[in-house]
Amino acid sequence: MSRISVPKSLVTARDAAPTPHAAQQVLPFVEPAPLAKPVFLVPTSAQRSWFCVWLPQLPLEASRSSDEAMAIVEEQQGIHRVLLADTQAQAAGVMAGQSANAALALLPALRLEERSLLREQQALEALAGWLERFSSFVCIADRDVLLLEIAGSLRLFGGLRPLREKISRGLQQLGFAASLAIAPTPLGATWLARAGRRVCIRDQQNLKSALRDLPLASLDWPKHLCSSLSGMGVTTIGDCLRLPREGFVRRFGAEQMLNLDRALGHLPDPRHSWRAPERFCADYEMTEEQSDRELLLNICRELLLSFEQFLLTRQLGAQRLRFSFFHLKGVATELRLGCARAERSAECWLELLRIRFDQLLLPEPVIAVRLQSGMTQALQAESACLNFHAAVDAQARRYSITQLAERLIARIGHQSVHSVSTVAEHRPQYAWCAQSLLLDWASNTLSEARRHLRRPLWMLPEPALLPADSGYPLYQGDRLVLLDGPERLETGWWDEDGISRDYYTAVNRAGMRLWIFRNRCQSSSWYLHGYFG
Amino acid sequence: MSSSLDKLLENPRVWRGRNQVQREAALSSGYPELDRHLPGGGWPLKALTEILTEQYGIGELRLLMPALARLTAENTPVDDNEPGWIAWIAPPFQPYPPALQQCGIDLSRMLIVRPRDPSEVLWSAEQALSSGTCAAVLFWPETLDDQASRRLQLAAEKGHSWAIAFRPMLARKQPSAAALRLELHPEGTRHSSGQGTRIHILKSRGGRPVVLNNLKLSQYPA
Repeated sequence: MSRISVPKSLVTARDAAPTPHAAQQVLPFVEPAPLAKPVFLVPTSAQRSWFCVWLPQLPLEASRSSDEAMAIVEEQQGIHRVLLADTQAQAAGVMAGQSANAALALLPALRLEERSLLREQQALEALAGWLERFSSFVCIADRDVLLLEIAGSLRLFGGLRPLREKISRGLQQLGFAASLAIAPTPLGATWLARAGRRVCIRDQQNLKSALRDLPLASLDWPKHLCSSLSGMGVTTIGDCLRLPREGFVRRFGAEQMLNLDRALGHLPDPRHSWRAPERFCADYEMTEEQSDRELLLNICRELLLSFEQFLLTRQLGAQRLRFSFFHLKGVATELRLGCARAERSAECWLELLRIRFDQLLLPEPVIAVRLQSGMTQALQAESACLNFHAAVDAQARRYSITQLAERLIARIGHQSVHSVSTVAEHRPQYAWCAQSLLLDWASNTLSEARRHLRRPLWMLPEPALLPADSGYPLYQGDRLVLLDGPERLETGWWDEDGISRDYYTAVNRAGMRLWIFRNRCQSSSWYLHGYFG
Repeated sequence: MSSSLDKLLENPRVWRGRNQVQREAALSSGYPELDRHLPGGGWPLKALTEILTEQYGIGELRLLMPALARLTAENTPVDDNEPGWIAWIAPPFQPYPPALQQCGIDLSRMLIVRPRDPSEVLWSAEQALSSGTCAAVLFWPETLDDQASRRLQLAAEKGHSWAIAFRPMLARKQPSAAALRLELHPEGTRHSSGQGTRIHILKSRGGRPVVLNNLKLSQYPA
């Protein structure tokens, strides 16, 4: 009793958060037969709006690649029959259900394409990915139905009408003929869209009246069920609802009744949100082999542009990507690109690609190109600054140091480009280290230079043994004169590389200044360690 | 009389060296004797400088250090907010960071590039020069023909960058588009630490060839 006394608004506000029907899910589903209408539960789905996109022409649109007349055929009982024909073919008299031969007789130039469920699925997923920009909740409801929850997006897009306009126009530009409908329940929206009603229902009450006169054909119920229902004179949803519930369930099964209840919002209808894959992979297939590099580069560009779109909808960037160039024979040629930090812009990737593509050897002509991205990550956007004083010179700055490093690394390799810093260490060979530019190079360089030390500007990677003449070091056959020293370095005894050396500055007859040392403990031979450049 | 002379001088084929006053941006080398002989009073920025030496270790880096130190400390002419980078492309040995720091160079602005292929030295240099991020680009090419030097000279102008090519003495006979060409010779008393260097300015755009004797190169800022 106390439950009912709680004000309605409070219940809805609390329960609506994750799934509006959370409270309803405690209902026992085991015995659906006497489906009494749940009275005490507030139908909170009024707060939700489901936008349904039905794609009746999807098999055709998924396989379309040119402008010629086309029809999709499907094998039915050993005969290829036309499933869908485009407008050009229809104008010539090609109809669904015709045999492929009949269609070809009507229109000899007709292109017949076998139906590919895989391609349809890919097209649907691509479209779902595109729709993600309008709503955080996109769901692939059926093989040709997409659902969006748009109640949360209305404010951002300035209301229902602009949002609907945007989606409708976008679908048209992408080349999809879609039937759209908006309703408070997902099934309701789907059925309305399937029936071709371009309606927008926000209210639970209106939903019932709108659904009532939908023909049974717009429900994807089994065929035999529809025919037996229409045999009884039941042709619309309204007729179904008028039937006694118990009898309907006994004759036609509980599933159908549950369906109706879900569509009307009497029962919860939770859906799974579809998530786009976080890695990008796209192929470009050609009809014949190509070896024209300019053309291949253009294909890569197109792939990169779709990659940019992919990243844009997710607000992500990628640091690595891989191009694979497939040949008819032999293994694919691969090209990997890397960026200093997560990057999204196709232009930037293309520039890196150009550098590498020049060097790429393609052993054979290419039949297909694939672009695969590495792990994507959140994009670290940078604010540009407004600088009035440097306005004239601003054009001269073409790219940042990271971009320069990226370009250099793209061409000559990761190991060959680095930055440096000093390390607090007395041993000369350990007093510095190379730093990658791709990492965040927060420099750990010592702020204070040790000025009293005499260090050469050039360092040899390894000390070089100098020949000696009666104890004096020789360089290029010439006896060296010691100018400065010794500077004794005796340190590092705690690890394997301990040193005990006397360093001197020496000069030869040609005027070269050398940094040489002599080991104190072992033999007394001389080593060259650097030049005072 | 003077009017006919003026007419003659208007002829574009007549080149007058003295009146070439379009002074390019210059950066003081830190050595007043050298500055005096360089047009504009210092190293020509936005141009290619060639330094010819017989060997390494005779002060070829010390000659540049005061100017490079100033470049990493100052704001670049290109961007007011950030000092420029110094790119080292294919250095013959490892530039030693502690010593560079002693010269006053900001190590966080150093970019070291070691191309595997000699042909990529020039490519990297051109990229670094035209990027507009590097205040100076030091590179050690194996070869640098007339055409390549012209390209680099253009890249340096475009990117407002100072290009410095280190080349062997053999290259002095080759033509080059560099704005400034110097020869370095060590000289003088080998027993004293105050060793001098002879600098022969072979070519200087807007200046004239000259030989400077006994320039004292110091590694340490005063």
